[in-house]
Amino acid sequence: MTDQALVVFDGVAKRFGNFVAVEKLNLEIRKGEFLAIMGSSGCGKTTTLRMLAGLEAPSEGEIRLDGKRINDLPTWNRDTPMVWQSLALFPFLTVRENVEFSLRMRGADKAARRRRVDKWLERMQITEFADRNVAHLSGGQRQRVALARSLVTEPQILLLDEPLSALDAHLKVRMQSVLSNLQRELGITFVYVTHSQSEAFSMADRVVIMSRGRIEQIGNPQEIYRAPRTKFVAEFLGSSNIFAGEVSNVSEAAVKISTPAGEFDVVPNAAKPLSKGNKATFVVSDDRLHLSNRPPEDRLNRLQASVVGEEFVGATAVIHLEGAERIEIKVQKSHDELEQLNLEPGAQVWVSWRPDATHILPGE
Amino acid sequence: MRKSITFYGLTFSLPMLVWQALFFLAPLLFLIALSFWSVRNFRMEPDFNPDNWTRMLGRAVFWQAYLRTFLLSASAAVITSILAFPCAYAIAFKLSETARRWAIFLMVIPFFTSYLVRVYSWQIFLSDNGIFNALFAQVGIGPFGMLNSSFGVMIGYLTLSFPLVVLLQLFSLVFVDKTLIEAAHNLHCGRLRTVFEVIVPSAKVGLVIAALFCFILTFGDFVSPLYLGGGDPPTLSILITDTTKSGQQWPRAAVIALTMIATLLAVAFAAVSFAYRERGR
Repeated sequence: MTDQALVVFDGVAKRFGNFVAVEKLNLEIRKGEFLAIMGSSGCGKTTTLRMLAGLEAPSEGEIRLDGKRINDLPTWNRDTPMVWQSLALFPFLTVRENVEFSLRMRGADKAARRRRVDKWLERMQITEFADRNVAHLSGGQRQRVALARSLVTEPQILLLDEPLSALDAHLKVRMQSVLSNLQRELGITFVYVTHSQSEAFSMADRVVIMSRGRIEQIGNPQEIYRAPRTKFVAEFLGSSNIFAGEVSNVSEAAVKISTPAGEFDVVPNAAKPLSKGNKATFVVSDDRLHLSNRPPEDRLNRLQASVVGEEFVGATAVIHLEGAERIEIKVQKSHDELEQLNLEPGAQVWVSWRPDATHILPGE
Repeated sequence: MRKSITFYGLTFSLPMLVWQALFFLAPLLFLIALSFWSVRNFRMEPDFNPDNWTRMLGRAVFWQAYLRTFLLSASAAVITSILAFPCAYAIAFKLSETARRWAIFLMVIPFFTSYLVRVYSWQIFLSDNGIFNALFAQVGIGPFGMLNSSFGVMIGYLTLSFPLVVLLQLFSLVFVDKTLIEAAHNLHCGRLRTVFEVIVPSAKVGLVIAALFCFILTFGDFVSPLYLGGGDPPTLSILITDTTKSGQQWPRAAVIALTMIATLLAVAFAAVSFAYRERGR
């Protein structure tokens, strides 16, 4: 345990009957970091957050906050406020009363309460709505009320459970910058649960990717994007082409991997020493593949495939291809580049890439 | 926002409108007319005579009965709500899905037997030589005069309204957003305090409507005040029967009935506007 760790999950498991929501989780959350926990629904990310908030009790293991075991500390005695997906604002209280709630529960005196609430209303720019009913606010205003209500006790950690998923795209981006700035200014720890890669990658210092109650990978967004550890992470990020095969030759500069789609040169990965005969899986990002109608010059990794279809993604397009043995390949290109090519469905194209565009998955 | 009445809306609500017009509005109008009729030689004659109103509303007996009825029903609404709440709370939040279904079933069972029968059987428990006093005598206390008292009336009112109040409270409690409860816990609000800070305000509409139903049911009740309260001093319902019996005074009984209806409308209106009142702008 580093001395920077604020929260430590030490072999924490959570079972609901026969269902294992979280399996043997070991995780350190550092002081003052913005940590995103990401995964598809049912991966255990929300359960992990709820255990930290004290809304679920771990079946096994220990959770420590500031070095103290908090397993048996009821949620109302922890200072781990949470922002819910539904925000869970109290509809029978005004904005001011909502923000004041936790201070009143802690028995703060009236003058102190007023000062603190005024400060947070001001900070979240909702002072003018103080006496409004929360039901009469817009989505963005309600977000700010929820944040003010959670932060009014000035805790050292804030838990967020997909708080932006109900907002429209524009407001979402704006709230993302509100959250990032807030976290930087306050210097407290944010733990942010989401299924959205764009939210996690644009805000977080570190990202935890979970699947079936287990951590697949922890790292900063760049690391995870360029060097996924497992097939799951590569598939979850959705922009990688995955090739699995057997090592046929190892040299200083390259590893040759023989896959059903052909034999390819791959850059060795220090995290995964390979020798001849080992099974190995490598990925190539869809934006690092080249497309051409004619066979490309030699020495590049290449394969032939037929066009299945095209998918527009704003400024770029993703071409879906099918290679030998029904291998699916995705290539992302700008519209300009695609105009030079014949990409009728069924057309034969060559896909090629440089060995240094590849990444061997160390976890496979 | 007001929606315009659609053809379909009107068609589907027609049976209820006809029913209300025939069996509520028409009798009510007749009752209002009746309250101005005169009685001569034990016979009613159509008339426009405000005498019934001035006579009835000028009597101390009437106002004593009015006050007594109102206080008894208001107390019943408060006492029943307080006693029913822990029960409804436990069913809503502590029982499993299956157990909750059984509890609701058990709450419906009392309605299988007539209210009159249930009140009669209370007499056996409450009378001076009844079961309770016999038990009290075993430990050397009593006898207590429980029958023919306000206590007796209250027992009857509870018998009448308790299961219904529990059910109405229950149906509003099961719809309380569980996330709000968790949010309150998360914001330093302990278990018991959450009940008063979050659950009661969240279920306010249902809780007020349940108390209102208790008030309405007991305000017009005739059985408990007579058989468990002894009928003396009278409640308004007993005063109505007394008035009709003495010299065919149906018009004066109509005056009492109309003041009761006016009271219920006022109470119902006040309760509903309190229930739906919102905080803040």
